[in-house]
Amino acid sequence: MKKYEYPELGEVLYKERLANGLTVAVVPRPGFTKKLAYLVTDFGSVHTDFTLEGREVHAPAGIAHFLEHKMFDLPGDRDVSAELAALGAGTNAFTSYDMTAYYISCTENFEAALRLLIEFVSTPYFTEESVAKEIGIIDQEIGMNEDAPDSRVFENLVRCLYREHLIRVPILGTSDTIRQITPALLYDCHRAFYTPGNMILCVVGDVDPDRVARIAEEMLGSGEKSVGVKLRPWVEAMDAAGEDPTERMEVAMPTFQLGFKCEPSGRGVEAIRQEVIGDLAAEALFGESSETYLRLYEEGLIDSSFGGGFETIDGMAMLLCSGDSDDAEAVRSAILESGGKIAREGVSEQDFLRMKRSALGRRIRDLDSFDSTCFRVCAYHLSDFDYFRFPAVYQDVKAEELREFLGRVVRPERCCLSVIEPKEE
Amino acid sequence: MTQTIELLPGVTLRCFPDDRFKQGTLSFQIIRPMAAGEVALNALIPTVLLRGTVRHPDLRSITLRLDELYGAAVGATVRRVGDYQTTGLTCGFIEDKYALPGDRVLEPMLDFLRELLLEPVLHEGGFDPGFVESEKKNLISTIESDLNDKRVYAMNKMLRAMCRADSYGIPRLGTVEDVAKIDPVTAWEHYQRILRTSRVDIFYVGTAPAETVARLLMPIFDGIHRDYQPLGPQTPFHDAGGEDLVETMDVAQGKLCLGYVTPITNRDPRFAAMQVANAIFGAGMTSKLFVNVREKLSLCYSIGSGYYGSKGLVTVSAGIDFAREEQTRAEIARQLDAVRSGEITEEELRSAKEALLSSLRSTHDSPGAIEGYYATAALSGLAMTPAQYMDAIRAVTAEQVAAAARELRLHTTYFLKGETA
Repeated sequence: MKKYEYPELGEVLYKERLANGLTVAVVPRPGFTKKLAYLVTDFGSVHTDFTLEGREVHAPAGIAHFLEHKMFDLPGDRDVSAELAALGAGTNAFTSYDMTAYYISCTENFEAALRLLIEFVSTPYFTEESVAKEIGIIDQEIGMNEDAPDSRVFENLVRCLYREHLIRVPILGTSDTIRQITPALLYDCHRAFYTPGNMILCVVGDVDPDRVARIAEEMLGSGEKSVGVKLRPWVEAMDAAGEDPTERMEVAMPTFQLGFKCEPSGRGVEAIRQEVIGDLAAEALFGESSETYLRLYEEGLIDSSFGGGFETIDGMAMLLCSGDSDDAEAVRSAILESGGKIAREGVSEQDFLRMKRSALGRRIRDLDSFDSTCFRVCAYHLSDFDYFRFPAVYQDVKAEELREFLGRVVRPERCCLSVIEPKEE
Repeated sequence: MTQTIELLPGVTLRCFPDDRFKQGTLSFQIIRPMAAGEVALNALIPTVLLRGTVRHPDLRSITLRLDELYGAAVGATVRRVGDYQTTGLTCGFIEDKYALPGDRVLEPMLDFLRELLLEPVLHEGGFDPGFVESEKKNLISTIESDLNDKRVYAMNKMLRAMCRADSYGIPRLGTVEDVAKIDPVTAWEHYQRILRTSRVDIFYVGTAPAETVARLLMPIFDGIHRDYQPLGPQTPFHDAGGEDLVETMDVAQGKLCLGYVTPITNRDPRFAAMQVANAIFGAGMTSKLFVNVREKLSLCYSIGSGYYGSKGLVTVSAGIDFAREEQTRAEIARQLDAVRSGEITEEELRSAKEALLSSLRSTHDSPGAIEGYYATAALSGLAMTPAQYMDAIRAVTAEQVAAAARELRLHTTYFLKGETA
């Protein structure tokens, strides 16, 4: 495996693309007992439309998440969770809008656990019965989500903000769409996106990088397979699609999310550059060091639940903030006003340097977390960027870019305000 | 190796020298009895301290100072540890070697901690009234937001009924009424009193030598006239009788909570067996509840059990369809009976032990986990290091697990159901 060194971060990364197309990355952690492995596919809830071997497939909403649940079934009534548990390994998975990740963590028996992880993620096994049963389980999960104000307030926001992009549809799908899922569709998705060429395996821990690569090759073979081609029909105009949504729920106090549509971030270093600019702009606009935050907090319009940042998903990006407030409309006005002011006056060089130093320090501290590091190495790889090169990106961005970004994005026509109000007695 | 330094009577610094991390972590915890009269005050005080000091008088100047310290973080940490409540501040900051050449972080960080603890903005013999009012509002909204997560809400409702004669029945952050009553002068006087008289536990994980950390911390105590008053020991569950409760609300999914009591606490030689029994019964993806009630019977989306070793309580929480309440109750009882009668496979025993061992083994892999273990384990009455704890778990047999499970008695139940059910 090829070795890359990042002395200013005290990090080393081993990385290689195997003959079968799988990218393998290892972040050594000498002296630690924990080992964490992520196996990630570049396939999330927004990728329901694709071509496979010349044929168009349009799968129902929620299929990526459904597939994630069903990957834990293996032929012969085997129970993967139990087999991993017997090795002392924990396992879980999650589906986001644009990726699905499976992971194991353990302190012993790492190689056996890693083999199991690769085996179950690469072995599709779906039956009519198991699919029917899963519908019941996922329907419960959808029900639970419907009672969760944090999910509702976000789903309402993106549904009103976007016209085309499939972020409009919940990751879990709906009670109706999951009932359209069949074993044949699940096999299609697996064949299209669970091929090594569409995936990355990342391990963080005190392991031998070459052993990891050899195990992956043994388990997956050396031949490259075809990959499904995503159809990304969504072309979004940058104005908000609909009216501000409001819903009433059993909550103690009103809660809100405010989103501004941004241009999609592209790939490679440009993508992370956009993200760094977006994050710093969010800090200047409404972060804890901003005048706006202080004023809103002292006036009682926001409280310690307030926060936000820049979110990117395949094909879209958004500046987002959320919190509890009795007057979310006043929060929006203040943010719009502050955005206008920064767009006119810019950010001082001194403030800009301070924000960069702070953001950089936080990213360095985050490297202590196995999960955060493993996740980021994978997620940035999927947009063609080597995560450990982030310090150079911070050095490169200019204060002027923040001003340009805020002037372009923080505009009334680009935003929606989603509010959940308590039910009236 | 761990180094323990008694800085003053009742003030202990525990250092975990470690050069594997990019950040240093320091937590400063004041230990109080969990008592209805002060629980809300103790929860509020660290949040008021973080609002401003004489030199950094508002949130913005505090954040600017933390930005200069390379994005260091200081947060309020309030925990329930058996009959005690701990309250204080926890700091995370990059190791000096990642700062610009010549720049230092640890020393100014600890000086800033001293400033936060000892130089709050004061007004007429109390904390700043504006800070107190807005942090009261925050705390009330945190308490009320329990309602937003129906699982947490249901569990709290059950625990409060079950433990109405026990400190476990006192909400961790107090009640809305407790918070509303707080005034700036009482809060400041209470804070000065607890700084003077309480046990203080300080934890540091990082590369600096213990002596250096101790020296940098001493100025904090130069400003306090200590008059240490030790705490009583942890006590077992105080039983006021069980109840079966049902509540109706406009929700899509029902929440069923069951509370069991056991005489086995973490001071008991059977503690490890009880811990393993809980893991086999309901903790994790290989437990009987998960495998049977969720996976085989699809009775629920979520189900799990928890064991509170300092008190001897086991709880079960399940998210279910309203119509499946009786069926779920019966199935949970059946699974517990299976553990009690020793229907435990080799596989179940090994998986349960491995899950517990794995989490203990990796305690030393994160500064937060190191702080979390040592800040709570010993305090809650558990007199074992992670290594001793692991030995005890390895030694547990299936018979001991069954015997421990037979000590569980169903005490209180709670069901949250929808209005249409």
